[in-house]
Amino acid sequence: MDAVQVEVLLQTLIAGILLGGLYALIGIGMTLIMGVMKIINLAHGELMMVAMYLAYWLFVLFNIDPYLSVFIAAPLMFFFGMAIQKYLINPVLKVESILPENQVILTVGIGMVLANLATILFTSDYRSVPVEYASDAWYLSDFWRDSPVELSLSVPWSISFLFAVVITVALWFFLTRTDTGKSIRATAQDMDAAVLMGVNVERMRLITFGLGAALVGAAGCLFIPIYYLYPALGGRFTLIAFVITILGGLGSTVGAIIGGLILGIFESLTATYVGMGWAPVGRFAIFIAALIFLPGGVASILRRQRLGK
Amino acid sequence: MKRMILLIAVMFLFSLVITGSSFSEDTVTFGIPLPLTGSKAKFGEIEKRSYEIAMEEINAAGGIKGKKVVLVFEDSQGKPEVSRAIVEKLIDVKKQPVIFGEYSSSCSKAIAAVAEERKVPYLVVTGAADNITQQNYKYVFRMNPSVSYYTSGLRSFLKEVVKPKTIAILYESSDFGTKGAEGMVKDAKRLGMKVVLKEKYESGAVDFKPILSKVKSKRPDVIYMVSYVMDAALLMRQIKELRIDAKLFAGGAAGFAIPEFIENAKDASEYVVTATLWSPQVTYPGAKEFAEKYKSRHGKYPSYHGAEAYSALYVIKDVLERAKTWTPEDIRKAMKETNLMTAFGPIKFEDREGYQNQNFMDTLVLQVINGKHETIWPLEYATKKYVYPIPRWRDRR
Repeated sequence: MDAVQVEVLLQTLIAGILLGGLYALIGIGMTLIMGVMKIINLAHGELMMVAMYLAYWLFVLFNIDPYLSVFIAAPLMFFFGMAIQKYLINPVLKVESILPENQVILTVGIGMVLANLATILFTSDYRSVPVEYASDAWYLSDFWRDSPVELSLSVPWSISFLFAVVITVALWFFLTRTDTGKSIRATAQDMDAAVLMGVNVERMRLITFGLGAALVGAAGCLFIPIYYLYPALGGRFTLIAFVITILGGLGSTVGAIIGGLILGIFESLTATYVGMGWAPVGRFAIFIAALIFLPGGVASILRRQRLGK
Repeated sequence: MKRMILLIAVMFLFSLVITGSSFSEDTVTFGIPLPLTGSKAKFGEIEKRSYEIAMEEINAAGGIKGKKVVLVFEDSQGKPEVSRAIVEKLIDVKKQPVIFGEYSSSCSKAIAAVAEERKVPYLVVTGAADNITQQNYKYVFRMNPSVSYYTSGLRSFLKEVVKPKTIAILYESSDFGTKGAEGMVKDAKRLGMKVVLKEKYESGAVDFKPILSKVKSKRPDVIYMVSYVMDAALLMRQIKELRIDAKLFAGGAAGFAIPEFIENAKDASEYVVTATLWSPQVTYPGAKEFAEKYKSRHGKYPSYHGAEAYSALYVIKDVLERAKTWTPEDIRKAMKETNLMTAFGPIKFEDREGYQNQNFMDTLVLQVINGKHETIWPLEYATKKYVYPIPRWRDRR
């Protein structure tokens, strides 16, 4: 391997890790909801789209940087998610129906309504937030003059990645150290036992859905400086989140983080060494492989390790 | 139900009554098939507005041989079978001696077949598929370059200025992207360039850096991309991030040629060249005036489709003024002899390279200079001198 090949490999890995971190943040939101509610929220990508439009308009109207709007959009999305849970999903949960999974179908409907509302309100034009630092980067050769390889690290990608890490760590603290967090985990592990222990399951569901929406909302804001937005963008990210959720093991947060990173790195490596047109194929190959060979996802490996000790 | 049948019967009768020749004493009426609804409606709308501007100008200047022009737009919904039916009606019932219009290639192809069969000249305005004018049709004329010639200007720019030895081609995995990439591979062979990399990507991708680092390692002289606008902007932004120093970054029309590309890619778009058929800044006579008039009315500059439609009516005017009589045969003869400068460019119908009645024009090359698209090639229409060689990313401020 000569220097050029090493450079390509390293640059690919950097890209993969940065992308994986953002994917993980999208995946965590879905996996949280999955764990507590036992339903796949197929409106996940559309919630991200809503947050992106929020960040976009905050920038256009008030000139608020997308990274600052994380602190505005995420709380708003939290309440938006709670409202969806309270007024749309809960009533459906209570109804006896022929299909056991009609809440899932409901989320598909919510997604469609959101996407089409956005089309009506904002037209289907592509939009992006023209931040000044959009294509800035740090270069290895600027710090180390005689470096044999030239690597670059995009400024907005790195900031987005750091934000994703901070949010994930904060979430971990919330889930493991606070009372509410512990109640959420209890609900996810065994709902009946949680009820018997006096956990207000209904409230936990509200908070979880809100939290899931807030997380994907934050991810939306982080995507704005590096990507663009249009009303139909939700579907593609719902799919990504879904693959990560399966890969990580349904309902496992740590699994989702690892799943996100695996998917990001895998996609980047496919793009470089197989061909970028194959990225979607790779995504689903890994999805099917996970279902067949690792039905419990990364979480099952983690669990086995822990039991082994 | 009965009322329904009655209504249809009445409508039928009515349509029989109002039919008759489209050319009367003091007006000349043209039916124009266009996709006014459906997925291609956006382009149909641009063309309709442009035809209307041309109509008003021609009428204000005294019409065609003293007759006022009246345009009737017929909605083809972008469906070949509908546009075929429209044209059959125009020829058989309205006795219109010349047909023009339609947007897509598939609709234009359907109309061309009818026109040839009925021996009525048809002017193709925007349909670009190569084979429309490769079927030995006598009555079918095309004013826009065929899709293989969309990049003819860029080709000559590469040949005469850049003289590249290697090229990397990135394209989106759609029909449009694939065709564009295939065309460039052929061009590369003709120009003696080696294609070091040809990769497709899924439109809407978030991260192009893996593939771009591979491009970087191949050190191509030219990076040629066929993309829609947002992919184009992301590609250039990430090329800047990775500091890939090719001698030239070239786009194959589409996403690279519209102002949104510069708005989104910002300084990363500087010095990028792109093939295009037409731009609002081009120096063809009347082009700027048309573009400004369109913008003041509809708030946005027209795409090249607009210029094609606008100029098409002027071509028809020119042909009708030169034709001895307004019969299909004489109009065909006059059309064949067309040699007209329009806002879209020079129009002349030639038979060569397997095409019949095809207008061969040099397509334009634009370069982003100081954050604006400037025409740089062919030199006689240039609004600014091209910038070549382009500075390396490291040396840019």
